[in-house]
Amino acid sequence: MSWARRFNGYAVLGVLTVAVLLVLAPFLAVVVNAVKTPGDYAAHGPLSWPHGLSLAGIVDFWFRVDFGEKLWNSFLIIGSVAVLGVAVSVLNAYALGIGRLRGRTAFLVFFLLANLLPQEALAYPLYYLSKEVGLYNGRLVLVIIFTAIQSAFGTYLLSSVYASFPRELLEAAELDGAGRLRTLVRVVVPVSWPSLSVLFTFFFIWTWNEFFLPLIFLISNDLQTVPVALGVLQGERQMDATTTSASALMGIVPAVLFFLIFQRTLSRGVMAGAAK
Amino acid sequence: MFRYRRGAVVIALVAVAALALAACGADAEDGGGDGKTLRLWHYEGANSAMGTAWNEAIKQFEASHPGVTVRFEEKGFEQIRQNAGMILNSDQAPDIMEYNKGNATAGLLSKQGLLTDLTGEATRRGWDKLIGAGLRTTSTYDQDGIMGSGNWYGVPNYGEYVMVYYNKDLFAKHNLRVPTTLAEFTAAMDTFVAAKVTPLSVGGAEYPAQQILYELALARADRSFVDDYQLYKSRVDFHGPQLTYAANTFADWVRKGYIAKNSAGIKAEDMGVAFEQGTFPILISGSWWYGRFAAEIKNFEWGTFLFPGNSLHPGSAGNLWVVPQHARNKELAYDFIDITMKKEIQNLLGNSGGVPVAADPSAITDAKSQELIENFNKINSADGLAFYPDWPAPGYYDVLVAGVQQLINASKTPDQVLDEIAKPYVDNLTSLGK
Repeated sequence: MSWARRFNGYAVLGVLTVAVLLVLAPFLAVVVNAVKTPGDYAAHGPLSWPHGLSLAGIVDFWFRVDFGEKLWNSFLIIGSVAVLGVAVSVLNAYALGIGRLRGRTAFLVFFLLANLLPQEALAYPLYYLSKEVGLYNGRLVLVIIFTAIQSAFGTYLLSSVYASFPRELLEAAELDGAGRLRTLVRVVVPVSWPSLSVLFTFFFIWTWNEFFLPLIFLISNDLQTVPVALGVLQGERQMDATTTSASALMGIVPAVLFFLIFQRTLSRGVMAGAAK
Repeated sequence: MFRYRRGAVVIALVAVAALALAACGADAEDGGGDGKTLRLWHYEGANSAMGTAWNEAIKQFEASHPGVTVRFEEKGFEQIRQNAGMILNSDQAPDIMEYNKGNATAGLLSKQGLLTDLTGEATRRGWDKLIGAGLRTTSTYDQDGIMGSGNWYGVPNYGEYVMVYYNKDLFAKHNLRVPTTLAEFTAAMDTFVAAKVTPLSVGGAEYPAQQILYELALARADRSFVDDYQLYKSRVDFHGPQLTYAANTFADWVRKGYIAKNSAGIKAEDMGVAFEQGTFPILISGSWWYGRFAAEIKNFEWGTFLFPGNSLHPGSAGNLWVVPQHARNKELAYDFIDITMKKEIQNLLGNSGGVPVAADPSAITDAKSQELIENFNKINSADGLAFYPDWPAPGYYDVLVAGVQQLINASKTPDQVLDEIAKPYVDNLTSLGK
């Protein structure tokens, strides 16, 4: 029996190892091609090991698109979205989940549907609206749009978390004479902090990879985000494979770093129970 | 603990305010209609022939226009393809930009009134004399946005055409000469097949395979077929001699092993890399590969020849300079176009591996570039540019990719494939009211 158990352990380990390798393979391909020279790539193809290390692709790409500026734009827009998105979600969910607003199911269904809407359907209406109010080709318009999109999901999720919020805590706060705002700031937010961190992290990573709407709304190069800047390298019929790999590498590094930093928050948040 | 959390909330709120403020600011757009800035966009790589030549044109423009700054932005092809209509319909339009030629792109925008009519400038500055009849097709669009007649809406700086690239070392190894007829060409491919070498590197998942199919149709075609197919002069018979020959021959080439069965899933990029690695002796594709091959192929000698026996070849003028209707400094934009048409810039474009439209042939010093440009001039002077097979209808590219893949996989007979590609073409004609 112990033999069988050990065998099971090895089987799981083997399957997991294969899965990890499958996930890592594309990353490896990107890294390998990012450090090749174009001549090396041409002579030996995408799957060979690099013959010598060349960082020219990465350096070229950095200067060609002014990558530092793109990083700043991305952080500015996405940081704002993540913070504002969480704030709006909390306010909505406080009303819907704890306030037990009338018609809350209808609201939640509406938010869920809004979340399922494809961005392509939003593009034209948002384009005309933003032009009307003079926000077209600006970072602010993306902050507003993504805050709305992300907080639709955030509201949906947090409302169900708050629906099971321990009533004793709320009653205790009320007995102590706390008003609604005070209860929110002093009781609800601190208790649900782990869930909010998870939401923040997800909003950040999801928005980081957004391509379509930033492509449409950020016209000037000096306003563009990282994923849009990566698109510059794809020509009509030609692609520069080594520089493209270098750019892909630099595009994913910030998101991966962010994930690694907040990884502990994530696992804690998922585990967190409501009442203690 | 409680105190700490309240602190966190305060920090978060301050961060929001700071970020939101920063996001609001600094979006101000300059470059009004004061004649002091030229906002210029294009999407050619900085090291490409066009990038090199246009960079020089910017320098010359600034020298001849003291006090005017050029604000150049390198755009992504995808961004312009997706957004051109939206950008040009707003106050963010640049003064001049590169844009794709064809009915679905420049034609559509001209029909929507988003492009400036350049007819007056073209005659006044003599661009119409430099750009011959074959190249001019993609510059002019009628009121329905169909190319070939009407007003000027764009000016091309360069041309492009499809040719045969071959590996000289492999040809020498198998004692083969450059073929001059289609029969010699197939005989050469037979030699390779007999030696267990697949002759053609083909990207069936993208544009290359359909250009081979079109090349074969052109082997049996004359100018009136091209006019019918591309400009809708009269109805094209998809079961007529040209396309029937093309589909049957293509299927035949797959059967004989000239084209590998797995090419249906190969992308253009991989097709090119396979040729660069010396895996295949022949590649049939456009002049846009030329500069890259020249820079990257080190392990063998290579050369080019025109598709043997054809007088018509897939090819056209390159992308266009267009001046948006909402541009604020149109006069500067015209001046810039004028500079890019000067011999000096055109010669530089030619010497950097591109195909200029108005260069001085004797000023092209590089031997390989000479061959490239001479072949283009040969085609152009014989009115041999036949455009590309996917041009006639919106979304026709994907139809042709699917059709040719079925020929490669032999999942449909040539007749069935012709029926399949005929339908969207005819549907488009119906919707145009032709």
